[in-house]
Amino acid sequence: MSTFTADTYQNEYLPLGATEVNAVVTVTSSDGAIAANSADAAEIVIVDVSGSMSAPRAKLRAAKDATAVAIDCIRDDVMFGVIAGSMTATPVYPASGTLVAASASTREEAKQAVARLKAADGTAIGTWLALANQLFSTSPDTICHAILLTDGQNEHETPEDLERVLADCEGSFQCDCRGVGTDWEVSELRSIASALLGTVDIIAEPSNMAADFQSMIEQAMGKATNNVSLRLWTPQGANVAYVKQVAPTIEDLTIRATPVDALTGDYPTGAWGQESRDYHLCIHVQPRDAGEEMLAGRFSLLVGEALVSQALIRAVWTDDEQLSTRINREVAHYTGQAELAEVIQEGLEARKSGDEETATYKLGRAVQLASASGNDGTMKLLSSVVDVDDAATGTVRLKRSVDDADEMALDTRSTKTVRVQKHEP
Amino acid sequence: MSSEAILACRTCQAQLLPDDRYCEQCGTRVTVEPAEELPAEGGCSACKAPAEEIGADGYCSRCGIRQRTPHDRQEIDLVLAAGVSDRGRVHRRNEDALHLETTGENGIVVVVCDGISSSVSPDVAARSAADAAGGVLADALHRKSNALSDETTNAIHAAQQAVLGVPWTPHPGRDSPSCTLVSAACRDGELVIGWVGDSRAYWIAGQDSRQLTVDDSWTQEQITAGLMSAAQAGSDPRAHEITRWLGADAPEEEPQLVTIRPAEPGRLVLCSDGLWNYAPNATDIATLLDALPSGTTALAAAHSLTDTALAKGGRDNITVAIVDIQTPRREHA
Repeated sequence: MSTFTADTYQNEYLPLGATEVNAVVTVTSSDGAIAANSADAAEIVIVDVSGSMSAPRAKLRAAKDATAVAIDCIRDDVMFGVIAGSMTATPVYPASGTLVAASASTREEAKQAVARLKAADGTAIGTWLALANQLFSTSPDTICHAILLTDGQNEHETPEDLERVLADCEGSFQCDCRGVGTDWEVSELRSIASALLGTVDIIAEPSNMAADFQSMIEQAMGKATNNVSLRLWTPQGANVAYVKQVAPTIEDLTIRATPVDALTGDYPTGAWGQESRDYHLCIHVQPRDAGEEMLAGRFSLLVGEALVSQALIRAVWTDDEQLSTRINREVAHYTGQAELAEVIQEGLEARKSGDEETATYKLGRAVQLASASGNDGTMKLLSSVVDVDDAATGTVRLKRSVDDADEMALDTRSTKTVRVQKHEP
Repeated sequence: MSSEAILACRTCQAQLLPDDRYCEQCGTRVTVEPAEELPAEGGCSACKAPAEEIGADGYCSRCGIRQRTPHDRQEIDLVLAAGVSDRGRVHRRNEDALHLETTGENGIVVVVCDGISSSVSPDVAARSAADAAGGVLADALHRKSNALSDETTNAIHAAQQAVLGVPWTPHPGRDSPSCTLVSAACRDGELVIGWVGDSRAYWIAGQDSRQLTVDDSWTQEQITAGLMSAAQAGSDPRAHEITRWLGADAPEEEPQLVTIRPAEPGRLVLCSDGLWNYAPNATDIATLLDALPSGTTALAAAHSLTDTALAKGGRDNITVAIVDIQTPRREHA
């Protein structure tokens, strides 16, 4: 298992009467023997084989190629399987309805089964996830990861059906979602990925699929510690305004809390490799007198039920404005990155609905924030949607013609953040 | 002061009376241990949660309020003189030291040292210096020495020797153990103050209130040389650099001294910069003390000044000692 550390970045000094405590906690896991035992990992690739996958024909071929690459990346002894999804879900390999240990021969058989897939029928993603969940349940005590590849909208089941399946799957496995082409809904796939603690991205060019699959599988295979959760204690009378993962991507975990007792809640974070993630916590507390110190939050990191690291979020009230007005770099930075993701999503929404004024304002603000924080990746994506006159003031013009794929790439990647240059806490 | 605690001489084990300052049998000076403020036995000081709700890190597991621990604060109450040394709100330990005792006939000795945080073991340096200087001054008062100025110089030399004796291992980027020092020897209305660094002494008596010490600091040098105004120097990054201190690498100069014989009653205040950063002028401290009800004890006054610094942020360790000078004996002055 990895070694975890948690460091708090905050200005604990609050002006008298203030009730809002903000902190960024950086969690780093290191030294973990990477999935020391391959038998502890399970991987399922879910391929969309709905009718739309055959138009153009290259789409299905690229998806099959990418699935083959993914299968090749699965290490020996990892329990794996492939599911084909349309109106229903079919176990492509193995056909037996369980998972099979990866080896040269099983990988070869799986690739042959994938090569025979044909596209037909509609899309009901919930049924695919339900089958994955059932297959994973045949391999208990493993780090379970799925890749979901789809090109279409979830048209053949109700949102309620999907939500019910997601609730069943939460905590059982993690799932990275990839949209191929431009006919899928970003918000739909994002909600699936969020619920299953995975990422969402667009694969505009089917020929790029293989490389992306390879990196996803490698990352999934690099997870050494499963079932990691955040436990947040707050004092009586306090209220957790939000708990967000803010790096490497923004994920609002607030509503994911499972109460432990009246003062404590657990938030799932899934499996960890050697990596570092930042969390922004905002807690409302009852104000105290000048000079008093309150523990506004005790941030614990748990593997299963074992405490592996802890960080304290403090509040000290003072009438010294020099102290209370000091801005913490990390908190300010991620407040900006969260706003960046928000204005991009709102700007694109406004653009779609024809409200050019709002779209120009929101995307202009996004350019300003991306430029100021050095978020070059997002800046580049923004420049495919707007012409930038002045990044510093956020003066932009909407582009007349925008490639759908560019717009979707901006939407899916709007939650990717850059980190602030770290200094000692 | 918990006089019940002092039962036997530490040298010859002879029984002592509560007010003894020296052992009647062997003459050994009686050391007064600083009284420690213990956390309220009833548990959380804020929400009254039972004691078992207070975590090892000092926070109440119900309301989150941090409880103060004995290591955060030391208090000495000798009635006419009292002192408080507090960790403050920012530093994780108290690197100030306070030595306070009464001796001889009406003699009072106060030493305040402030360990320099960029040095190794600053807390040990401050404690060693304060006790060494305090010991020399107490002996001088006990011997009824007539040269308190010379004795003060000797006391500060002894403190320097004590700091040199602090064991330490070099750390990259950190200096050898070092600290500041301000001392006061008070007897029969004569107050002799000695200092090295920027810990201060103030005489507080209404209109006559004034700062007795002149900081050994970069800021003070600029002001004295007429190069900068106090405001200009104060906002300079070098404002908190001191030009003299106790320690292996200290400049070899004699400490500064000042003697006063106040005509009217008043209060002598010795403090570290943890207090005077928030109340730099004598008038600031006078205003704070004048606001207290008449008859406020030295201890209560020291509490009040410390609380003021804590309330303003308590960015440094805070040490405050107050000596009530009530009846100057004019015939000796």
